[in-house]
Amino acid sequence: MSAEFELTRNITIGQYLPTGSVIHRLDPRYKVTAFVIMILAIAVCNTYLGNLFALAVCLVMFRLSHIPLHYGISGVKPAVPFIIILAIMQLLFYGEIARGGTIYFQYGFVTISSEVIRLVVVSAMRFVEVIFLSSVLTLSTSTTELTHGMERLLGPLEKVKFPVHAFALIITIAIRFVPTFAMEMEKMMKAQASRGADFGTGEWWRIVKRTKDMFPIIIPLFNVALSRAEDLILAMEARCYTPGAARTRYAHYRATPKDFAAVGICMILAIVMLIIPW
Amino acid sequence: MKQPILVTEHLSHVYMQGTPMEHRALDDVSIQIDRGECIAIIGHTGSGKSTLIQHFNGLMRPQSGSVIINGMNVSDPKLDVKALRRQVGLVFQNPEDQIFEKLVGDDVAYGPFKMGLPIEEVRRRVEWAMELVGLSFEEMKDRPTFALSGGQKRKVALAGVLSLQPKILVLDEPTAGLDPRSRNELLERIKRLNTEERLTVIFVSHNMEEVAHLADRVYVMANGRAVCEGTPRSIFSNQELLHTHHIGTPESVDILYRLRAEGYQVDPGAYSVDEAADQIAHLIGR
Amino acid sequence: MEKGLTVRKIVIAGVLGAIAILLGVTRLGFIPVPTAAGNATILHIPAIIGGIMEGWGVGLIIGLIFGVSSFLNATVPLFKDPLVAILPRLFIGVVAYFTYVGLRQFNQYAAIGVAGFVGSMTNTILVLVMAVIRGYMPAGVAATVAVTSGIPEAIVSVIVTLAVVVAWKKIGSSGKQKSKISGDFK
Repeated sequence: MSAEFELTRNITIGQYLPTGSVIHRLDPRYKVTAFVIMILAIAVCNTYLGNLFALAVCLVMFRLSHIPLHYGISGVKPAVPFIIILAIMQLLFYGEIARGGTIYFQYGFVTISSEVIRLVVVSAMRFVEVIFLSSVLTLSTSTTELTHGMERLLGPLEKVKFPVHAFALIITIAIRFVPTFAMEMEKMMKAQASRGADFGTGEWWRIVKRTKDMFPIIIPLFNVALSRAEDLILAMEARCYTPGAARTRYAHYRATPKDFAAVGICMILAIVMLIIPW
Repeated sequence: MKQPILVTEHLSHVYMQGTPMEHRALDDVSIQIDRGECIAIIGHTGSGKSTLIQHFNGLMRPQSGSVIINGMNVSDPKLDVKALRRQVGLVFQNPEDQIFEKLVGDDVAYGPFKMGLPIEEVRRRVEWAMELVGLSFEEMKDRPTFALSGGQKRKVALAGVLSLQPKILVLDEPTAGLDPRSRNELLERIKRLNTEERLTVIFVSHNMEEVAHLADRVYVMANGRAVCEGTPRSIFSNQELLHTHHIGTPESVDILYRLRAEGYQVDPGAYSVDEAADQIAHLIGR
Repeated sequence: MEKGLTVRKIVIAGVLGAIAILLGVTRLGFIPVPTAAGNATILHIPAIIGGIMEGWGVGLIIGLIFGVSSFLNATVPLFKDPLVAILPRLFIGVVAYFTYVGLRQFNQYAAIGVAGFVGSMTNTILVLVMAVIRGYMPAGVAATVAVTSGIPEAIVSVIVTLAVVVAWKKIGSSGKQKSKISGDFK
């Protein structure tokens, strides 16, 4: 098996998987709102039960959206080594910061207490939950819908001269191009490997050399990106795109009771997450 | 006197195995290419050509089946991949994207430098490679790469692979996106690499004129399988096969077929522009 | 200077934002040179380049995209805090832009390099300041990290920024430079 060069399969951002589920059909404005509520709750929640609950909610979301769970898992997999390293670092160094709780073990500067263990477990769980949730959101919402959702949420900012539409368009372009550039990057890595490139060898203290080792990938990547940008600018200007001009929209969203219910349910779930003790 | 240099047996490859996007890109492909041949691989988009050629220099390892190149087994986990990549030069589509050095000479020299060759040898190889693709070494080596034309960039990229001095040159759509003049020139260069430098050349192409002009033999790919193999003449005279696999024919072949359909006595197998012209002249003269 | 967002600015910001996201989700964004973190990140470089090429507005937005993506991808609690992950990043491209504009009258090349350096240090220092303010690390540790991590990262940033911007702006020094294989070796 050669997974050496296959980056694209590890990236789940901006990949829409239409299954037509309830979650897919939610009004993006409300979906994004509900998502933000959940993320905030998860970011604050630091109890075991609360996170177990959040994890269960994520699994139910996958179920409801008819998205196979391994999409979420494939987002987590590459991060597993980081989670482990983080856990070790937290175990070793966070004794001082996460004070309190029962102390199980103490030697030198290393303090392992129930609070440290909580920190380790909770941050790992939190991480998995955030990945799962964002996978559900991005896999169930096309990027167009996603930016429309965000744009509408930011709408009030237009009053203070914030270029909401342009901003939404920038985000759309960014998300749209990630998979494209990932493929370009994969091709570039293969092409340079075919010319005998190896990445990141040489003495570790030679910063300049190490950096230049990455040039065969980085420089062409920027070049390809910028020339794609030139093409896109030309195409948009050719169609007389005017930033900030009032424009009509192809998709009209009308919130249904289902959308309000979704936000309501997420609020309740978030509150449950936060009030669960232990 | 046929010496096989590249052999695949029952080679298969499945992308995204175990996901809903599972896709069988290669399905039981067995091909054999002999030293010194010039081989075209044709087939419409998604037929598995690109996946196949990436097995030739170890960018992909066989999932099942085998690939043996000049005695090296690509399945062998202990294979010296770098040695393999020096034997098989792979030129990707739009290879000019991979140029990253500021100066032409430096970019062409990248591979040889990575091989750890002494600078005199690097210089010798760069000169050799640049002259082969039709870039004057003295004139071009210090030129900034961003100031080159599209055709020149493509040549620089090709020289960057040739400077590894591979035994086999694999090209993915070498002339795509070039203007007709650069295209013809590049084709001549490739042909000379094959005939004069004795390189085994394997190229993927959608351009049937190119295939007819260059290739000794053709493999036709469809749905991940090598469905047919033969000389351009035998392949292009089988229009039914080409039609089922959505592959076009050179224009001259088209014309001859149409003439035959109209009831004229022509041989669509003799499709080179000269032969076709002779046949038509013969028809008119009569 | 800034006259709102033109099509060019929108597209360049989007495309460089995509690179910032992409570098973050692949190991390519981390160059293995010695820093406190074990490698130097180049994720902030698109913001610097955007700032230099298209002005502070573009730099700010790319910084925001970088910040949000680093917040979402974070595996360290430090960067799970939006005040550390996002807020400092807004300034990278802005500072780079003003550095570049201030210096370009003297020398284009030097201005780009210095902007790369200052932009990168802005990232390091502001992140660490926020980390100290938010109580993730004591000031002494932060100062050490600023030197051991910030300097190598800034050097990497100078090299990459120069290479990309010079190639793209086609600031040619043709004729002056010689290829490595030019000249006599006998």
